[in-house]
Order: sequence, then C-alpha cells, then structure tokens
Amino acid sequence: MTAFGIAVRWLHLACGLGLVGLVTVLLLAGRSDRPTALAWEARMLRGARGLTALLLVSGLAALAYQTAVVTGRAGAALDPVAWAQLLARSQFGTVWLVRHGLLLLLAALLLLREREHSPVDRLAFRGQAWLLAAAGAGAMAWAGHAAAVEPRGLAAALLDALHLIAAGAWFGALLPLAALLRVAAAEAGADARPFAVLAVRGFSRVALVLMVLVAVTGTANAWFQVGSIPALVGTRYGWLLLLKVALLIPVLLLARRNRRHLLPRLSGDGATVGRPAMARLGRFVAAEGALALLILLITTALSLSPPAVHDSIRWPFPFRFTWEAATQVPGGPTRALIGAQIAVVGLLAGIVGLLLRPWRVVLFGAGGAALVTGLWVALPPVSVDAYPTTYRRSSVPYHAVSIANGAALYRAHCATCHGPGGRGDGPGGAGLPKPPADLTAPHTADHTAGDMFWWLTHGIPAGGMPPFGAALGEEERWDLINFIRALSSGERARQMTPVVQPNRPWLVAPDFTIAVGPAPPRGLKELRDRWMVHLVFFTLPESRSRLSQLAEAYNTLQATGTEVIAVPLGDPAHIIRRLGGQPPVLFPVITDGAAEIAATYALLSRGLGPREISSRAAPSLHVEFLLDRQGYARARWRPGAPGRGWDEVKALVDQILALDKETPAGPPPDEHVH
Amino acid sequence: MRLWRVILLVNLALGVGLLFGYLAWGREVARLGQELELARGQQFAAGSQRTWHARGVVRAVLPELKVVVLTHEDLAGYMGSMTMGFRVHDPKLYEGLDIGDTVRFTLTGAPPNVEITALAKEAP
Repeated sequence: MTAFGIAVRWLHLACGLGLVGLVTVLLLAGRSDRPTALAWEARMLRGARGLTALLLVSGLAALAYQTAVVTGRAGAALDPVAWAQLLARSQFGTVWLVRHGLLLLLAALLLLREREHSPVDRLAFRGQAWLLAAAGAGAMAWAGHAAAVEPRGLAAALLDALHLIAAGAWFGALLPLAALLRVAAAEAGADARPFAVLAVRGFSRVALVLMVLVAVTGTANAWFQVGSIPALVGTRYGWLLLLKVALLIPVLLLARRNRRHLLPRLSGDGATVGRPAMARLGRFVAAEGALALLILLITTALSLSPPAVHDSIRWPFPFRFTWEAATQVPGGPTRALIGAQIAVVGLLAGIVGLLLRPWRVVLFGAGGAALVTGLWVALPPVSVDAYPTTYRRSSVPYHAVSIANGAALYRAHCATCHGPGGRGDGPGGAGLPKPPADLTAPHTADHTAGDMFWWLTHGIPAGGMPPFGAALGEEERWDLINFIRALSSGERARQMTPVVQPNRPWLVAPDFTIAVGPAPPRGLKELRDRWMVHLVFFTLPESRSRLSQLAEAYNTLQATGTEVIAVPLGDPAHIIRRLGGQPPVLFPVITDGAAEIAATYALLSRGLGPREISSRAAPSLHVEFLLDRQGYARARWRPGAPGRGWDEVKALVDQILALDKETPAGPPPDEHVH
Repeated sequence: MRLWRVILLVNLALGVGLLFGYLAWGREVARLGQELELARGQQFAAGSQRTWHARGVVRAVLPELKVVVLTHEDLAGYMGSMTMGFRVHDPKLYEGLDIGDTVRFTLTGAPPNVEITALAKEAP
C-alpha cells in the first residue's frame, strides 16, 4: 500500500510541477512562425493536456489512497461515501477540492488553445494557464507537513508553496526545453534554431532566480521540519533530505556546465558550436530533467515520513561537539577558538580560489591545508562521547511524581555505589575500576538526558556500572534521570537567594499537581504565562504566623498577578482544618500529593551552610520560592536568612514587581528533561 | 468571442464567485456568533433559574455576611473550579461546619444572583 501511495503521489507531484514548468517555457519562449517551432508548440500543448488529465486521474488515486490511510481500511479506497466524508471534514479534503477545481478550469482553458489569434490572446491564455497551474501546485503546501507547523503555519505553508512553484518552473521546464533543443538540432529543424536559442537563453536567465528561490525556501522549509543538526543526521526524514540535497548537486553542476560552456556555443558553425552544441545541451538538459524526477521521488518519500522535529532521533556518530566540553578543559576554549580561526581562514582562501582562477590551485591547496589543520586543532576540545540515544527526548515529564519515583529507584539501585547523596561516595563503589560519578557535580547538567538513558540502559563497562535495561522499565529509567536532574539542579540552587537576579532564569521549577479537596486537580504549568507563583512549603505549628501574614496579604499578592500555593511539609492529614479560619486562608493548600512535591522541592531547598552539603541534611521546616510566569524558580527565602526577608511583605512584593517588569527572553522550559 | 475576453470573463466569474463565497462565509460566521450569544443570553437570562450540584471544601465561614467560602468543583455552564464565597439561603445550613470540611452543596439562582440552598457534610 505504501509503494502504491508513493507511486501515486510521485506521479501527481511530477505532473503538477511538470505542468508549471511546461507552461513557464511556453510563456518564456516567445513567438515563432517557423513550422518546426509551431510543431513543437503543438506537441507541448498536447503534453499540457495530457499532464492535466494525468494530474486529475492521479489526484483521484491520491484521494483513494488517503481515504484508505485515514480510515485504516483498504476497502475504503473505493468507497465514495468515505471519499465524501474525507473531502467534507478534513483540511486535506478542502485543499483537494480547491486544487482540483482549479485544475478542471485549467483543463477547460487548454481546450481553447486553437482560438489564440493575437498577442493579447496569447499572453492571456499562457498567463492564465501559468497562474492556474502554479496555484494548483502551490496549494499542495496546505495539505502537507508545512500546514501543520505551529505556531507559524501560514508562513511555513506560503514558503512551501513558493518552493513548489519555483521548483516546478525550474524542473518542469527542463524536459520541454530538451525536446525543443532536440528537434532544433535535427537536420530538419534548422528553421527553429534561432527560436530555440532565444528560448533557452530566456529560460537560463529566469532559472538563476528560480534556483535561488528554491534554495532559500527549501532551507526555510528544512528549518521548520528539521530544526536541528541531530534531527538532520539522526532521523529518516533528515536522511531523505540529505539525499535530496546530494541529488541536487549534480543537477546544479550540470546546470553550471550548460550555462557556462554550452549556452554560448549555440550560435555559429563548426564541430563544437551551433548544432552539435545544441544536441549536446539537449542531452544534458534531459539528464537534468531525469535527475529532477528522482529528486521528486525523494520529495514524495519525505511527504510520507514524519517530520524530523517530531521523530525520535538516533544519533549515528560515536561523538558530538559541544562548547561546554571545551570549558571544562584547561585552555580548551582558547584552542578551540584558535583552531576555528585557522579553519575560517582556510575556508575563505578556498572561496577566494573559486573567484581567482590563476591562483586557484595554490589557494585551494593552502586553504585545504589550513582548514584541516584548523579542524584538527579546534575539534578535540569540543568533542565528547555520544550514543544513539544522545538526543532522545524523555517520554516522562519533569514532574514531582516522576522525581519522587526516581528518588525511590535511586535508593534501591544506585545509592550503594553513587552514595545516598549522589556524591559518588557509596560503599559499593570502592572496588570498581573507576570511582562512581558524582551526580551532583556541575558536569551532570552538561550530559544530555539521552546520554544518561544510554548509560542506564547499557551500563558503563569501563567504569564497572552494570546495565539496568532489563531491571528497569523505560519510564522508570526516565524517572531516575528526572531525579538526577533535580539533584544536580539542587546543588546549583544552593546559592539561590531571596533576591531575584534580573533576566537570569535557569532553575526549572518541577511541575506538580495542584489538588485541593474535591476540586479537579490541575498542573502547576497551567498557570504559566498568566500567574507568577509564590510557593510556600510550611510546617505546623512553626509556620502558622507566616501563613496568617500571607493570608492577610493574599489580596495584595493576587493584585500583583501572583498566586500563592501552600504545600504542607509534615503530616498533610486535615491540613485545611488545622490551618483554621482566623484569618481565612483562601489560597490553594495542597491536600493530595504533598509528600512528592515536598520531597522534590527539598532537593532545591538546600542552602550554602556547611551542614547542608549533604542532600540528607534535615529538611527545612519552612521555605518559600518565587516562580516567574515562565515556570522558573527565581528566588528563595527561608526564615532567618540574612538580609531583608520576605517576612516583611513589602520585600516580597518588591521581588514580585521586579519579576513582573521582565520581558520573557525565551520560551517556557520544556516539560521534558533534555 | 476573442480568447482574451473569454479568459477575462472566466476570471471575473471566479472573482465574483470568491466574493460571494467570502460573503457567505462571513454571514455564516456572523450567524454562528449570534447563535452563541443567544445561547449564552438564554443561559443567563434574568429570571431563568438554574441549579447546580457540586462538592467543595470549606475554606471560611463568614456569618456576618451569610457567606461560606468554598474551593469547589466545576459548576457546569457557570464557572470553573475555584475558591469562591457564596451566600447561604438559611444560616442553619452552615451551623456546625468546620474549616476543611468536605461538603456537597446545591447552588440555585440566576447568575450572578445565586445562593446555596442545600449543604451537607461528607463523612470524613
């Protein structure tokens, strides 16, 4: 079925783009009254009618295939009722109807060709045919991946439409031009040679613009659908795209050769100019056209593959490059920068060599040597080991429940070697070939979650770490990774103060469920973009006076756009009743799941005191966090902390107002660790 | 007729068709908007009494205002889950209520003039 789908879509795409190109050539070729040229025009017109008919038939077949895919029943492919439902209820259907309406109009127009009696008729006929063919081809963008791009779907679809039209005008024109060159180069086609020369030269000028358009819009499309280098080299979509670009290179080389060497030789007499050059150009242009058909086959496969941005990445190399690796080696940044400079000089020398023919060999040689040397110097400091799962994204959100599960799994499976606090000081690690990693060290944050997933799944044989792929399920391994991320972030969070550092969000506040009595639970992240959050972890009776103060200030805090959420650290039973009604405490007080939230945020609650170096230090009795609207924890206060404390409500409001003034610099944190 | 005139006429017809289509679409959107407004209006029309049954947890009792503050479930068609104070029809209803009690309550009235007409504690 997939082979049928690819064949039908390829045929439809090739006919659609071929029609745009054919009409482009008819529009650009100018007018001739020579019999050979007229015969070619008539043949092209028949070709246009044939392509339109094939386009309509393949469109029906594509509709049948899509119906079978959408319904999941092969039998639905021939069910008119299912067709009608798809056409009436889907964007694919709307786009299909519009496109085929335009194509029917084009088919009717092409039947009027015989009435082309004046230059105005001619321009109107060909211009209208081009507009209809281009609209029919460009509208395909709204039924493909581009239309599903969020949030800039319209821009992506417009760029894709432009890409399709430009590619059609370029690729689709090749075979008609090859046919013209072939008949003009024949013995009997001498009368059409001036016409052919003018047509090819006219197209050559337009083709340059089309190539640039195809390259620019294609790059933009790739940005929308791929988004990153790992996705380009680690997904099926990315590989197909690379193959498409690789096939484009010989097309461009052929085009360059045609333009620079054969096009100037079309006029004149001799063994290598005039007719022989025309025949050769015809063959080369036909070869370009054949390669273009192959590229369209890859494009069809791309349209049936999930876009790389939404696919799971399988990194194919045993290494990757990251600047963070250089910063951890003495002299690493300097070496990497010097190497990069040498490589850039080499690259520039190569580019200059392309422009200066007499110095080309020298510049290419010197530039190549500088490029290789530069890369040899620059790359080692920025290289780190990588694995197939390095860029894999977690399937489990960074949520308090996951982190709490991870903590339990850590105690059961990891603490023996890595130590109860994650510092690599567990008794089981003593006899291992390499000491267990300190999971609280800053470098933990530089490894990707996918690296950790690989180590957890397959172990680290050189270090003596066993694999856990069989003992722990995939979700459990991601739970562990979420816990390790929180543990490592907590180490960095020890320096957090009650004062907001302007425009420096870095500590992602783990998500949790806000469950208050019978009210339906909602996630903390549902408050993002709308509310700042003052998160209060409390213990009764120690926190009672502070909670009373916050209850009285609740209206003020809400007026500044801040929601207060209180989480009990101790026994959560009857916590609302125990808070009492004087003064009324009206902000959300977590009644279910408080233990997981408290355990998670305890990891982020340690200060800089010497007793707090261990994550097993006694948890605080009361701690408060201020979260910005994007979901980052930005400040933390504990009673008794030095400086102006939040027990003076104005001090808290000042910090809230500082946050309120900020303009978000980037997107909210990803809900998955990466 | 000359070919260019035929094409011009076809384009004019297409343009007119698009214009009519756009206008029809606009009218359809306006009609749907009106229907929605009408439905909303009917929902909250003065005098149209409605009743909601929901659960909540007592956050405060303010006898001087005859108000009970509840963190409650969604009240379908009226408001989502939130912490909100409601007038109580009969002060006897909140007698014996404690902060933190989970209750089942009945809200009656035409928004925004609603009041609690029945309230019962759930077993702890």
